[in-house]
Amino acid sequence: MATTTATLTINSDIMSYPIRINKSMTMHKLQSCNGLEETTGLRAKKFTSTTAAVIVEHDELTDNKAHKLYIRNAGTSKANFFYIAYHASAAAAATDGETIGKLYGGDWMLIPYDGNSNITVASSTTDTQHLEYMVFADGIIEAAG
Amino acid sequence: MATTTATISVSSNDLVPGARLSINATSTLMQTGLTTGLDLVDLGKGKLTEASATDALHEALGTADTSNYVYLCNNSTDDQQYIALGIHETVIGRLGAGDWMFMPWNMGDSDAEINIEAEPSGTIPYEYAIFKSTYTLPAKT
Repeated sequence: MATTTATLTINSDIMSYPIRINKSMTMHKLQSCNGLEETTGLRAKKFTSTTAAVIVEHDELTDNKAHKLYIRNAGTSKANFFYIAYHASAAAAATDGETIGKLYGGDWMLIPYDGNSNITVASSTTDTQHLEYMVFADGIIEAAG
Repeated sequence: MATTTATISVSSNDLVPGARLSINATSTLMQTGLTTGLDLVDLGKGKLTEASATDALHEALGTADTSNYVYLCNNSTDDQQYIALGIHETVIGRLGAGDWMFMPWNMGDSDAEINIEAEPSGTIPYEYAIFKSTYTLPAKT
């Protein structure tokens, strides 16, 4: 059993008193105290087009599980972004019901992911942007030979 | 201008044999497309019950297609319990006991609503923070 820990720290002075959130978790399988043992690996991808692209194919993963999905816009521009969407195949649209949100330069996300649908991204620009992503998997389906 | 930073550290000595995993990233959260920090936040905690079915974590009352960020933590200690997380009608993941998540949120209309539900039974304590670019107060009744 592998042990993978993730720690979040948020600091903010939005309020008149400091906001400090500090949370740590060990990534576990669904309804289990056993750690996640598989990963798709850390991947990096360059985008030079606004055409939507699938970065995580759900059929590589066991459905209805407690996967974790990490994505980071590796750029620095706060004007350019990636739409991140939970879609079977459709493009990421601005206000689509399954569009999660926008990752600007330097932004990251870590979410639970059930593996039931693809993760699609679309760059906001034809300027070069880089994305890095990784699935901490609660079950990877072996590829057919 | 307020400054809000979100930092993640992920580490594992044994997830990938022979290669220690270490991911570290920090982001300063800005208003939509700007280099101006976010000024709006909602913080809270609550208890979800399985009997209440699906609830909205927060009303999606803001300008569409803006930058917003959501932190949510499942504070249950029962590893059988999880929060089903959904965007509108679609469940996208299961947040286990003790787990947290952080994601951008394309708030703006009911289609973007974040829904949460306690599963498979009982009550789950949770806490959240939503950092927002815009927000529209609900109309008075």
